Amino acid sequence: MAEGFDIDHLAKLSRLSLTPEEKALYSSQLNSIIGHFQALAQADLPTSIDDARVVRESALRSDVPGPSLGAEAVTRIAPASRDGQISVPRVVDDEA
Amino acid sequence: MAETLHTLSAAELGRRLTAGALTSRALCEALIARYDVLNEKVGAFTHLDRANVLAQADASDARRQAGQGRGPLEGIPVAIKDNIAVKGQPLTCSSKMLASLVSPYDSHVAERLRAAGAILYGRLNMDEFAMGSSTENSAVRKTFNPWDLTRIPGGSSGGSAAALAAGLVPLSLGSDTGGSIRQPASHCGVVGLKPTYGLVSRFGLVAFASSLDQIGPMARSVEDCELLLAALASADARDMTCFSSDERALTAAGEAKKLRIGIPKGFLGKGVAPEVAAAVNAAIEFYRAQGCAVSEVELPSADLAVPTYYVVATAEASSNLGRYDGVRYGHRSAQASTPVEMMTNSRSEGFGAEVKRRILLGTFVLSAGYADAYYNRALRARAKIRAEYLAALSQVDVLLTPTVPTPAFKVGEKAADPLQLYLEDIFTIPANLAGLPALSVPCGQSGHLPVGFHLVGAPLSEAKLLAAGRLFEAAHGFAHQQAAL
Repeated sequence: MAEGFDIDHLAKLSRLSLTPEEKALYSSQLNSIIGHFQALAQADLPTSIDDARVVRESALRSDVPGPSLGAEAVTRIAPASRDGQISVPRVVDDEA
Repeated sequence: MAETLHTLSAAELGRRLTAGALTSRALCEALIARYDVLNEKVGAFTHLDRANVLAQADASDARRQAGQGRGPLEGIPVAIKDNIAVKGQPLTCSSKMLASLVSPYDSHVAERLRAAGAILYGRLNMDEFAMGSSTENSAVRKTFNPWDLTRIPGGSSGGSAAALAAGLVPLSLGSDTGGSIRQPASHCGVVGLKPTYGLVSRFGLVAFASSLDQIGPMARSVEDCELLLAALASADARDMTCFSSDERALTAAGEAKKLRIGIPKGFLGKGVAPEVAAAVNAAIEFYRAQGCAVSEVELPSADLAVPTYYVVATAEASSNLGRYDGVRYGHRSAQASTPVEMMTNSRSEGFGAEVKRRILLGTFVLSAGYADAYYNRALRARAKIRAEYLAALSQVDVLLTPTVPTPAFKVGEKAADPLQLYLEDIFTIPANLAGLPALSVPCGQSGHLPVGFHLVGAPLSEAKLLAAGRLFEAAHGFAHQQAAL
């Protein structure tokens, strides 16, 4: 099942930039680990996953605002902030 | 007295504090003095704010003086794994990604410990984001096994276990996603409990794999472990997977000598070191001699546990770690002119090799064209494993196996082969997949290295596991053991 394994595509989806050495290493290691997963392909498994749920069915709370950290606490741990807001590189190009 | 305080149990320290024979300040000063001598050697802690610890100790002593003591943990230091939030203290997960993060809030367990009067004592080293079984994946420092400083302490809660074995603290908190409390407890000769999924709130625990993660107590005796668990376990509306007050009826311990003990067929065979098998077999014979009914049970899908776990855990990790994008907190790359570059470069610079490996793997098993073959099949395998465990636990009270197949290995020995390292967790993983409570108790040695056995019970049967552990502990000399350093 591991055919089609594309390290460049996975790195892009994962938002990771890998060196050629890392790509070679991870490709080899992931192939070995995924090979170990083949036991799942050959197993006789139930069709229902209900028994897999260790989380309770009712595990959703009401969508009601509650207490949260204030802007000061949030911007204090942010990598960069200005005027009480988190700053990031420009998202929208002026020219566009 | 100060030179022997580190050898005492939390229960005994509590008695002395209550009797007025000891102050929390004197206790903390003694432990800080020991830390100053030993931490560089063992590497259990990544951070200790001495002034903050002593201020907490003084406040505790003042409460006690005023007759306002808060219970058995009043004035007792509890060290905390560095993925559990304590307001005003570092929360690095032993990762470069969070190297400068100071938590702006308390986890639920930190609130509970404060309410119990405990001293929140220092930050403990771990595998980065709790991914690993040796604490070698920490970006901060190495932690060494106090019983043999050339060997790993286990992981990912390696700092939590090593701190206990070195007598640096009487109690610690770990987190357990696939064995991360129990495996280091076994390697360091201490006691570790992974509670039933939902017994302890995960609010303030940095998420790795949310359907598997649990915070749990670690100590040098079963009694101390029980003491700490009592403080941690309570309802919390901020973690909706945490049992509400009326759902958390714990099964009564019953009489330990009447427990029915199941030995999973084949678990003491292939891959288990002879000394480990001998120590665990001796524990089985002990229970039999006490009057426990010992029988063999079948867990036919046990071989699926490791692949199932590494699909489910990495899938959840790849999603949970998506939040580290360099925007709101954590490392932000200086080399970025666009938001996508900022995210990619921040993640590439901030995460270590094992975290990247698991994100890539989790992304693969969830990706279009592969999710059915891997993630969805793993969920079905998880259902099967859980059903088999619950069926076995309807026949017996507890399942007994080794905690880890082999004793602690040399630092660096398995670093190049992640698959070999993943197989360390073969006995501990099923309890996480099935949401069951599990306890590791020291039961012997392989040469000079500790060996532990592992008990798994039905949901909310912690009292039975602890009663079984206490029965063994009372008849053997492994409780309160510490390495000579």
